[in-house]
Amino acid sequence: MKPFIRRACLLLAAGLMAVLTCSLFAPLSTAQDQRTITDSLSRTVTIPGKVERVLSLQSEITRLIVALGAADRLVGIDYFLRTSDRLFRIVYPLETRLPLASMADYNVNMETLIRLNPDIIFGAPEDRQVCESLQAKIKVPVIALASMGRFDKLFEETKLLGDILDRKEKAAELMAYFKEILGRVQNVVLVEPPAKKPRVYLSFYGSLTKTIVNYEPVSAAGGINLAQNLLPPSLGVDKTVVDIEQIIKWNPDIILIHGNYPPRERIVTVENILRDPRLASLAAVKNKKVFYTFGFWNWWDMGQVLVETLYLAKIFYPEKFADVRIEREGNKIFKKIYGLDSVYSSLCNILKCDEWAHE
Amino acid sequence: MNKQRPHALSIFVYLLPLFIFLLSLCVGTVHIPIKDLLKTLISPIFPSLKQGLPANSLNIIFNVRIPRLLLGLAVGASLSVSGASLQALFKNPLVNEYILGISSGAAFGASLSMVFLGGNIPPQISAFVFAIIAVLIVLLIARKSDSPIIALLLTGVIVSAFFSALLSLVEFLASPYELQALFNWLMGNLWKAGWTDLAISLPLIGVGILVLVLMRWRLNVLSMSDEEARSLGINIRKEKLLVIFLTALITAAATAVAGIIGWIGLIIPHLVRMMVGVDNRKVVPMSAALGASFLMVADNITRSFASFEVPVGIFTSLIGIPFFIVLLRKSKKAWL
Amino acid sequence: MSVTVQNLTYRYRNFSLRIEHLQFESAKMTSIVGPNGAGKTTFLKCISAILPTAKGSLFIDGRDIGAMRENERARLLAYVPQEHASAFNYTVLDFVLMGRAAYLPIFSSPSPGDVTIAQEALEFVSLGHFASRLYFQLSSGERRLVLIARALAQKSNILILDEPTSFLDPKHETEILALAKKLAAEKKKTVLVTLHNLDMAVKYSDAMVFMKEGQVVAFGKPDDILDEALLENVYEIKMSIIRYDGRTFIVK
Repeated sequence: MKPFIRRACLLLAAGLMAVLTCSLFAPLSTAQDQRTITDSLSRTVTIPGKVERVLSLQSEITRLIVALGAADRLVGIDYFLRTSDRLFRIVYPLETRLPLASMADYNVNMETLIRLNPDIIFGAPEDRQVCESLQAKIKVPVIALASMGRFDKLFEETKLLGDILDRKEKAAELMAYFKEILGRVQNVVLVEPPAKKPRVYLSFYGSLTKTIVNYEPVSAAGGINLAQNLLPPSLGVDKTVVDIEQIIKWNPDIILIHGNYPPRERIVTVENILRDPRLASLAAVKNKKVFYTFGFWNWWDMGQVLVETLYLAKIFYPEKFADVRIEREGNKIFKKIYGLDSVYSSLCNILKCDEWAHE
Repeated sequence: MNKQRPHALSIFVYLLPLFIFLLSLCVGTVHIPIKDLLKTLISPIFPSLKQGLPANSLNIIFNVRIPRLLLGLAVGASLSVSGASLQALFKNPLVNEYILGISSGAAFGASLSMVFLGGNIPPQISAFVFAIIAVLIVLLIARKSDSPIIALLLTGVIVSAFFSALLSLVEFLASPYELQALFNWLMGNLWKAGWTDLAISLPLIGVGILVLVLMRWRLNVLSMSDEEARSLGINIRKEKLLVIFLTALITAAATAVAGIIGWIGLIIPHLVRMMVGVDNRKVVPMSAALGASFLMVADNITRSFASFEVPVGIFTSLIGIPFFIVLLRKSKKAWL
Repeated sequence: MSVTVQNLTYRYRNFSLRIEHLQFESAKMTSIVGPNGAGKTTFLKCISAILPTAKGSLFIDGRDIGAMRENERARLLAYVPQEHASAFNYTVLDFVLMGRAAYLPIFSSPSPGDVTIAQEALEFVSLGHFASRLYFQLSSGERRLVLIARALAQKSNILILDEPTSFLDPKHETEILALAKKLAAEKKKTVLVTLHNLDMAVKYSDAMVFMKEGQVVAFGKPDDILDEALLENVYEIKMSIIRYDGRTFIVK
């Protein structure tokens, strides 16, 4: 018996050795299994060809992934979308299944992320450090991606996501639809001479004097953002604070207030502005043209920014868009993008956006 | 010591706020020529002058600039007087007006209002209430102690830390939007307050400063050790409480309407002592005048600086500290 | 103005002070002597109402000190501490001016009359020309004199000096004790001092109090009570009393 057992053991050991050696020399993934892309921070990232498990820590990307019909590949949700975003749970009711992957201020727990085992991670370009350290520590490719408030970048990332997730047709469909809606508005407003365009002041981020230098929906809808020349674009910063006298000096025709949250959370309100004695001389106040608008909410939701552009166009040129019913159009847009009915109406129940333009 | 120079200097400092107030009426994004400015100022008495004034002059002068300057005057004066008085009381020139927990209490109160109470209780009232609560807690905890001064200082530090922790908790629970609004408030600004805010806070601050100025000589005696002050015939318990109450009142009122504007209560009294010595009969009133001037000038600078506006609280720290260090090194007098 | 001590007790941690009866008369300088820890400073602070004591143990001309308001008491009794530190560099005149606090209501500043009194007090201690000097620039002897001037500005009839001569050189020591004696003899004040230097105590005092472990061991004129047995009892070492040339020396 003994010699037989000895020989069997030797054979087993040899077999194990062979397997081990083969695995050592096994070829790395072939070229067709990988691709390289450039992200918003100009980093070159190598990702696997097939992406099944996706973790997005950047809210705008998560929304696009749902719009592209790849929501089932999501393995987690970021803090902002879970706690502060009212729209997301309407467009993706199954979001409750997603575990929380980050905390406030993009704090992440490395072990949680490892446990979620994503193939790729989408990070926020605002925090390069988190993106780099995540990639270094977890050895998962991290792509920093966001529109940073520009339509052309929104298109780019839609196309990129379509490529990565193999949803190219849906991506093309979304982009075409976006351009179509935008086109509808622009055809009407672009013919307006600059002198006729409404001069708009935006009050964002909870303070009357805090404004955004570049907000494309305003210009796309044919308005002029009064703050647009305040900061050089090379600075890379889009928020700034102005002196209240500057607002009085500009005398805006229309004032837009950041409004992407329920009424009880408002700090700057239409009533406050209309009642403020310092602003009484403004054309916007005299004509009661002070409105809420969606604004940035960790950049954009594609459906919401389209509705917003339409909504702004109607505010800026009421006669030209008299026949447009925002609620109806809004539901249509969200139906096209997310495939669900009455999304905009549900949103209005929470944000009361149906009351914004006094329709 | 040359008796003449201090007199001229004193007169200059006491008149400075008035000059700066008038000059500052000209500072602002909207250009109003001096002639029109003067007409605007007199127009409430002579309504016929209102015609022919450029559009918005009345609004800008009476609703934007005058409230802003009045607030700068009141807040600058109150924080400086408060700092000077507490430095005497605590026998320590490094004490500042927030030492008894007022800034932390006010910040927490404001955050509570903005994040949880919605518009129901305005942040000013909440900030004021919690600032006073913080001081009361400090007084309550430190009341039975062998060394009351040290007890007050330490308790102030602890209570400040406590309210800071509470503030952090509220910040953690706040939405990004509320957080932005809160940071705006915390950094201090003079433009938000309207006439209603002024109508309530200015009398409080005025009365408080007045009483402290009346007590200015008493502060000399209170700056002696407790034993000595008692042997000199002062009821230190009563008078200390009075000073603390008054400084808390004016500092809380100032912070409630203007946010947290730091360093003024520390720097201004020191500057004054460098100029005229440590006698509080001069230090207290001059601190009020110099503090008022300083804050008005700081506000002028922050709103003319660039196309954007730096919060004045940041400015007082960034500019005040290096300026102060330079002065400290230049001054060879043994002023401490 | 006389100070009467009646059944005074004061307890603090392990130490207790018990004095049954003592009386200090006006126009006399009394020195309180004894070893370290005997309770001399504590005793003075009790009399000055700096330390809280029970009512009915301390009287000025029959009036209970414990029942007086602060400023009332300060007009009758002035206390000069042994140690002093100021956080701020006041002028000497401003310093002495603080002695007028007992006469000024809380919201008042000193009048020209007060300033004159302060100046006179400075001149009495021979520092009239120091009025504009800054306190931090004075030597410790000069600071002592300024503290005494401040106590004089209180215009009280009782003056209590806690170890006024410690850390001073012989010249300043003599100056201060001569000053204290002058205040008693010429200005008729009731002067109490605590001293370590027995020779000086014997030389200048009209009366002496010997204390040990919180109790009074002897009280009376130096000539009456001074003997070697008393000294050995109080200080626990042998000392000799030598009388020479009309003066008394105590040699260890």
